[in-house]
Amino acid sequence: MTTAPSQTEPQAQGDILFDIRGVGRYFGSGDIQVKALDDINLTIARGEFTAIVGPSGSGKSTLLQLMGGLDAPSVGDVHLNNKSIAHMSGRELSDFRRDHIGFIFQAYNLIPVLSAQENIEYIMLLQGVPAAQRRQRVQAMLNTVGLEGYADRRPAQLSGGQQQRVAVARAMVSRPSIILADEPTANLDSVTGSALLDMMKGLNESRSMTFVFSTHDPKIMERASRLIHLQDGRVVEDERRG
Amino acid sequence: MLFKLAFRNVMRQRRRSLLTLLSMGGGYLLLCLSLSLSEGSYNNIIDLFTRDHTGHIQIHVAGYLDRPALHKRMQQVDDWLPPMLLRYHIKAAAPRLYSPALAYGEDKSAPASVIGIDPGREARTTLLAKKVQQGVWLPNQVNEAGYWPAMLGFAMAQTLKLSVGDELVLISQGADGSIANDIFQVSAIVGTEDSSERMNVYLPLTAMRDFISLPQGIHELALLVERPADARDAAQRIQEHLAHRVPQQPLAVKPWQEVEQGFYNGMQADKQGTYISMGIIMFIVSIGVLNTVLMSTLERTREFGVLKAIGTRPGLLFRLIQLEAMLLAVLGCVLGVVLALPVNAYFVHHGIQLSQGFDMGGIRFDRLLGEFSWFTMGVPALVVMGSTLLVSVFPAWRVARITPINALQAV
Ligand SMILES: Nc1ncnc2c1ncn2[C@@H]1O[C@H](COP(=O)(O)OP(=O)(O)O)[C@@H](O)[C@H]1O
Ligand SMILES: [Mg+2]
Repeated sequence: MTTAPSQTEPQAQGDILFDIRGVGRYFGSGDIQVKALDDINLTIARGEFTAIVGPSGSGKSTLLQLMGGLDAPSVGDVHLNNKSIAHMSGRELSDFRRDHIGFIFQAYNLIPVLSAQENIEYIMLLQGVPAAQRRQRVQAMLNTVGLEGYADRRPAQLSGGQQQRVAVARAMVSRPSIILADEPTANLDSVTGSALLDMMKGLNESRSMTFVFSTHDPKIMERASRLIHLQDGRVVEDERRG
Repeated sequence: MLFKLAFRNVMRQRRRSLLTLLSMGGGYLLLCLSLSLSEGSYNNIIDLFTRDHTGHIQIHVAGYLDRPALHKRMQQVDDWLPPMLLRYHIKAAAPRLYSPALAYGEDKSAPASVIGIDPGREARTTLLAKKVQQGVWLPNQVNEAGYWPAMLGFAMAQTLKLSVGDELVLISQGADGSIANDIFQVSAIVGTEDSSERMNVYLPLTAMRDFISLPQGIHELALLVERPADARDAAQRIQEHLAHRVPQQPLAVKPWQEVEQGFYNGMQADKQGTYISMGIIMFIVSIGVLNTVLMSTLERTREFGVLKAIGTRPGLLFRLIQLEAMLLAVLGCVLGVVLALPVNAYFVHHGIQLSQGFDMGGIRFDRLLGEFSWFTMGVPALVVMGSTLLVSVFPAWRVARITPINALQAV
């Protein structure tokens, strides 16, 4: 077990997916200014299965949002594949998220009026994937997440765990560079949550998909190969495990 | 997919969508019926009015209408009129000659407007022949006693205390400056005490020429065209044609809208009233639509946040919201058409009987009629869809501008 304060060891350039340099995100101004993130320096390598952990309010969501291009840093810069995403326009960011980021949120991830397979298909429509290929990829993804028989169910007809599996399938199917998941298990019971994490871990290993997820559940963080501890917007520990 | 999404979103809140549909359909219905009744009634009024005596188009010597005078007559009418009637598909044409005169009955006298008409052509052009109350429509010949017939307006007959068969004496000044006076026999009494021709005296054109010693020319030609709505254009074309054909005479060809300007302006003002009330109907419907669209977008804020977060462009969301609103508008119009068809059909065939008729330019109207046309059925649909599109711009713009992180925090 290695412990390094707020810095990671240098890695080979080619492996680095995300490069977060001197990033701060401040809300408000003057006396009431809140530093949700302060002086974050991190790199995320391809193929990592990383957990961002810390108490509520420590800045986990804010960090994931900056990485996913949902928010812009107050200072510093975020690079994905050596391209800065901190200062993209609205439409560039839309397309960036569509093509590079897979999102999984805490809950209510899915579009209620679309069936499981339509939810998964939606993002490929945005990408302009041809119909035949879409159908085949949706089918393959449903098998991968173990929901073969549930293609035509609406989200309301699925359990919480099944909904999150569809969310994982939707995030994966667009073949993003990375999947960002903000407390994906927070609304699940611990058995279902652990199963979801095992499935994600399996995808990480079999397809070398990079995952970064946040959690404050010790049982869930056990499964990560790297733990980034946040406290009051700062990285207090960056822990790698065998 | 966008369509599928929009359709399912519309179906999601069935009760609310149904209410919106009903208000849109109701809006369409009200617009359609008020437009139908107004167009139908105006066309009816125009028809009755122009057929009373004006015709659709009138021709005079230029300046006659502003200052009528005995000498302002059109000449060689027989040369240029027949080819023109053919060329412009004129349905009927009535020539007229006017002169003031003093009319005498038993022991009363009154100033009269004497009009020389061609009985056959007048009957084909206007409804005058249908207004004969007593007696027979003007014969075009002298009676056994050698007198020409004359027709009196109702009020004139009352003033002079004359009835059918009585003798009428007219005194006027002939074109040559001589005193014109003659005895006529009353052949008919036309109209009522407040119809337009109440103080008129009608003579056959030949008798009129004899009476005021005017062997040539006429003052007025009233024409009926096939499509009254095109009267303006037709008048314009005939004007150009005659300017070319009869350059030696300055002729003025005018549609009824110009001949009867006061009546026409009054009608236009009335129409504006209709448009204002239609605007108010649409305003109320629009508020309802705005309310629905706003509510349905507000409660889906989180969903739009997800759609945006996973890479949906703002423009696509904008179109989604507009599409949802337009779907409702199209369905609402379909519903409106279904409701409006039978009601409108009834109005077209039966109209609404007014208990108290109203008077316009001396003609009575006692019935509102509907009209079935692309205009009366289509314009309401365009208005409903157009205002929906307009009203949905604001909610669509709001959704397009949602920032995903804020939206994701909304529940
Ligand atoms: N939009 C915002 N405006 C003001 N403060 C915010 C906003 N978003 C987050 N914060 C603050 O930033 C800090 C970190 O929040 P967050 O990233 O949500 O933490 P976590 O996800 O770890 O619970 C908190 O103190 C929170 O109150
Ligand atoms: Mg959080």
